[in-house]
Amino acid sequence: MDHFKERSTRDYFQKKLYSLEGLMERENRCIYEEPAFCHAACPLGLDAKKLIAFIEKGSFSEARAMLEHITPFPRILVYGCEAPCKKVCRMNEVGEGIDIPALERAAINHGSPKTGKGMLKFKKKQKAAVFGSDLFSLSLAAELARKSYPVSFYVSQADAVSLIKDCAPFLSEDDLAKEAKKLEAMDIKIIYSARLTKELFESEKKNFDIIAAARSFLSICFPGDLPDSRTLLSPVSQLLSSQNGDPNVLEAIFDARRAGVSADRIAQGLDPGSSRGEEGARESRLYTDMSEAVPSKRIPEPREGYAREAAIEEAARCIQCKCEECIKHCVFLQETGKYPRILTREIYNNVDIIMGDHLMNKTINSCSLCGQCTVTCPNGYDMAEICRDARENMVSTTKMALAYHEFALLDMLFSNDEAFLSKPQSGYEECKYVFFPGCQAGAIAPDAVFKAYSDLAGRLEGGVGLINGCCGAIAKWAGRTAMYEECEELLISELKKLGNPQIIAACPTCKKTLEEMIGAEVKGIWDILNENGLPAGALEYDRPLIMHDSCSARGDRDMQAAIRKLTDSLGCTLKEVPYNGDMTECCGYGGLVSYVNKDLASKMAQSCTKDEDVPYISYCMACRDRFAREGRESMHVLELVYAAPAGNPPDISEKRKNRLNLKRKLLEEVWNEEVIEVSPEYKIVIPEDVAEILDQRMILEEDVYDVIEAYHAGGSAVYDEKSGLLTSSLRKGNVTFWLNFTEDEAGEAGVYTIKGAYSHRMKVRTRYDV
Amino acid sequence: MTDNKVYYSVEAEENLICSKCGIPLEKTEAVFEYLDNSFPVELPACPKCGFVYVPEDLALGKVLSVEKVLEDK
Ligand code: SF4
Ligand code: SF4
Ligand code: SF4
Ligand SMILES: [Zn+2]
Repeated sequence: MDHFKERSTRDYFQKKLYSLEGLMERENRCIYEEPAFCHAACPLGLDAKKLIAFIEKGSFSEARAMLEHITPFPRILVYGCEAPCKKVCRMNEVGEGIDIPALERAAINHGSPKTGKGMLKFKKKQKAAVFGSDLFSLSLAAELARKSYPVSFYVSQADAVSLIKDCAPFLSEDDLAKEAKKLEAMDIKIIYSARLTKELFESEKKNFDIIAAARSFLSICFPGDLPDSRTLLSPVSQLLSSQNGDPNVLEAIFDARRAGVSADRIAQGLDPGSSRGEEGARESRLYTDMSEAVPSKRIPEPREGYAREAAIEEAARCIQCKCEECIKHCVFLQETGKYPRILTREIYNNVDIIMGDHLMNKTINSCSLCGQCTVTCPNGYDMAEICRDARENMVSTTKMALAYHEFALLDMLFSNDEAFLSKPQSGYEECKYVFFPGCQAGAIAPDAVFKAYSDLAGRLEGGVGLINGCCGAIAKWAGRTAMYEECEELLISELKKLGNPQIIAACPTCKKTLEEMIGAEVKGIWDILNENGLPAGALEYDRPLIMHDSCSARGDRDMQAAIRKLTDSLGCTLKEVPYNGDMTECCGYGGLVSYVNKDLASKMAQSCTKDEDVPYISYCMACRDRFAREGRESMHVLELVYAAPAGNPPDISEKRKNRLNLKRKLLEEVWNEEVIEVSPEYKIVIPEDVAEILDQRMILEEDVYDVIEAYHAGGSAVYDEKSGLLTSSLRKGNVTFWLNFTEDEAGEAGVYTIKGAYSHRMKVRTRYDV
Repeated sequence: MTDNKVYYSVEAEENLICSKCGIPLEKTEAVFEYLDNSFPVELPACPKCGFVYVPEDLALGKVLSVEKVLEDK
């Protein structure tokens, strides 16, 4: 199977990422969009958090508009409401809860009413009648008028002020007058001084489609006819009325709202109980961490209400409850600016697109698959699973461009081919153990690997074989299942040749991957060292260090403890940081982020190493390398154990050379095999600044050698007479490599000095070639 | 290629010589191909051996950005 065949934009394959239920099941774990506690507690659904945010910005009119929107008589609400929101405010836990009703009053007092007429609305055909006045029937009459029903409102009072006063006796004279004026301006036909009798009702009801009444009217005219608890429709009289005989302000207004919904259903000829959705207060599923909330006291509300400044100050105490647990320490999520629920939906949709731009591809490939979110999220959201599934899906539908992961995949093949080594200990055919250092250890700290193997082979009984290669994690991270399976086949067969020995890994990712692969326990070299003691010559380290746990050690407390035991015996003093252990962050190597999104990977490494003055110690070579690349003092625990400091981080070409040299050294010095090396008859000089460019542009020295070799063998090049530079190119696989160089015929062998290098993936040809 | 539209054109400067054939490069009709898409362009090439020259700024500029767009199509 050709793993490196480029995709075609003309292939139209599609496979759903999840079933709809599977998608919802995942999305629902993220409660980011849940209403704040105060919001959920309000049966009217007032988003107090939003209202408070408006006030904090000084936008009192916006806040007022929210109140006008939820009830026709906001003054009655804000002066009469029992405010369940205030009781559930999370600030109560650390001090005093936010005085939400006081802020609502400030919104009414300091905000201006919305001006301008609303949209022109046509009156509905169905007519409504409301008999008798209480807060419920008053609110319902206004509610129905808002819904454009022609409303007739029969009341015993003689004028609007006394009507409002009877319904809301707690209002001040001033507010009474204001709400009365409001009532008069509404499109309601009010029949004042009506004699509210059953006879009136019987004679009038035939003229109306919707009939409602104050609760006292219902009880007097139809004793025992009780409104349904959900629809508020009374079965005998067909009157809509409040549920309780003596509702409080909030109940009355909420009942008017519910009765309004029933009225709509009745007008449409539907069952009033149908499609009502969720109504009323509920408990929020939101999670909000209060550990950093600063306790504060309520700003007292004077009798005349808050002044603007005081309201703003009170509003500023609100912590705007939200859940951001996963985002707090995930640089990837911070970078996307999206929380997992929405991110999941966008990834799902992205996978669904057959033709067109897949804007989320880079995002899908930028998650480090580190699993931190699953630990930080109160509901265990697993973003890694979703990104990994999406990658596998994209590969299987040929939507994954090779450009994202090709370099890493070729590097894995290099580890498992040219640089691969699998041998039993000399003198053994089968071994009790096999040391599996992992591809990164050989690439970054080859001396430590060499010494570790010699140490294990020397001290353990029963033979210690060696398999030096990649565990396949790279293919897994890239979503390349078929490549992973090939790797699995290779390793399983090599293990079998060695007599299926106990694997000793030196990398947490290898340990985890191999355990999944063979379905048996893999030991860490740290376990062996703890059992058998340190080798002679181990370096003592007396400066304090910060231990960075590998993201592959998440959930593996034994491993985390074993490492600490090991550093303890080395005499290290560890400084623990909060985001460590199971909560640890990824260095940016995981999930191949450093190949796809270099800038993000840098930020990840920086985020892991915020303390710039203390050296970091880790037990994953990739962490060690990535921290050092960010200029941090960083070491792998094996560098201390084997007194083999690896020095400056190697570039991409040195990582390959290190692996080849390690293999040669092992073969020559451990297995006494001769290794023949061929070198070209000419010389290639790569100055340091060019080596840096090569590293940045992911061009290997091997590629440089191949371009020069092709040119040397008679290939074409452009000679620029002005600069004196030659430029030649070579297509290797899916990439065309270009070099600028000079050719120097000093002596008999040529010397090529490289001056620049670049590459592209597009193929180029003249239009005459086919 | 029947398409006469040219997406990009690079002049062949006089100082560019094919080192193999010893003759100056000429502006030549060429094609970029990627993921089953092709784009007619004009690039300096050797009229004799057909070596097409893609200058660095073109490779890292226009070519790279078109690659990225196609990769996510
Ligand atoms: S931690 Fe993240 S994923 Fe979990 S509920 Fe909160 S926002 Fe959603
Ligand atoms: S702190 Fe703010 S958002 Fe949270 S419950 Fe209290 S008022 Fe609502
Ligand atoms: S797996 Fe890691 S990188 Fe990916 S979203 Fe979760 S915490 Fe962030
Ligand atoms: Zn030529």
